[in-house]
Amino acid sequence: MLIKVKNNIEEISRVCDTVSRFCVENDVSDEKCHDITLILDEIITNIVNYAYPDDKEHELSVNIDKIGVHITIRLIDSGVAFDPLTVADPDVNSTLEERKIGGLGIFIAKQLSNDFKYSRVNGQNQLDIRISTQNGEKSDGN
Amino acid sequence: MEIKTTTEDGVAIITPSGRVDTSTAKAFEDGVMGTIDSNNKIAICFSGIDYISSAGLRVVLMAGKKLTALNGRFALINMPEKIFAVFKMSGFDKILKIYPSFEESKSFFK
Repeated sequence: MLIKVKNNIEEISRVCDTVSRFCVENDVSDEKCHDITLILDEIITNIVNYAYPDDKEHELSVNIDKIGVHITIRLIDSGVAFDPLTVADPDVNSTLEERKIGGLGIFIAKQLSNDFKYSRVNGQNQLDIRISTQNGEKSDGN
Repeated sequence: MEIKTTTEDGVAIITPSGRVDTSTAKAFEDGVMGTIDSNNKIAICFSGIDYISSAGLRVVLMAGKKLTALNGRFALINMPEKIFAVFKMSGFDKILKIYPSFEESKSFFK
């Protein structure tokens, strides 16, 4: 299923609703649906906030499919080159005082994904994410 | 997002409902930080929250930092399992006090 998304924060709830319907139609559990929605929320929020330095309207695409026991997601945007895998993970062992605010969104998205790959293709950012619909498959994050 | 605040035993209990995401984080932040201005004992009750993203976690972290600086007390209570999973994944269970109920947080606030 292809979802076209404008670079506007308001669009995210529409994407979440569409993905929830996709999950119901494809017998994906509520728990996994929550994870998939959260991954997309974090990644799209990041793209909308940082990918486009101009104030113009842009469109990104989200392709979501169920292949066997996996959900595959391909996100393509034409924003500035940005590889989320180069962002340092927050130090989850730091104290409250030391803990930095921010950088959590991408970390959460990676944690919830079984596979998370970035490529720059034809001047566009492409993220390929795979999530198992079964519990127990270990997330490799990176 | 609707946010209710009540006071029990001198602790302000903030109860938001719905989703805490990018579009509602500002209202959540205003509700929480506004309450800290008048009370340094704060509990956030998550019983009405079915979704939280990093935008919401950011507000919780800010509140925790501010209350620590103010020598206040801060606890998170009544957290549904899937919300707790997001906190745990982020390492927030190690730096914030999380209790199953307000009752169980009472000795912490004393």
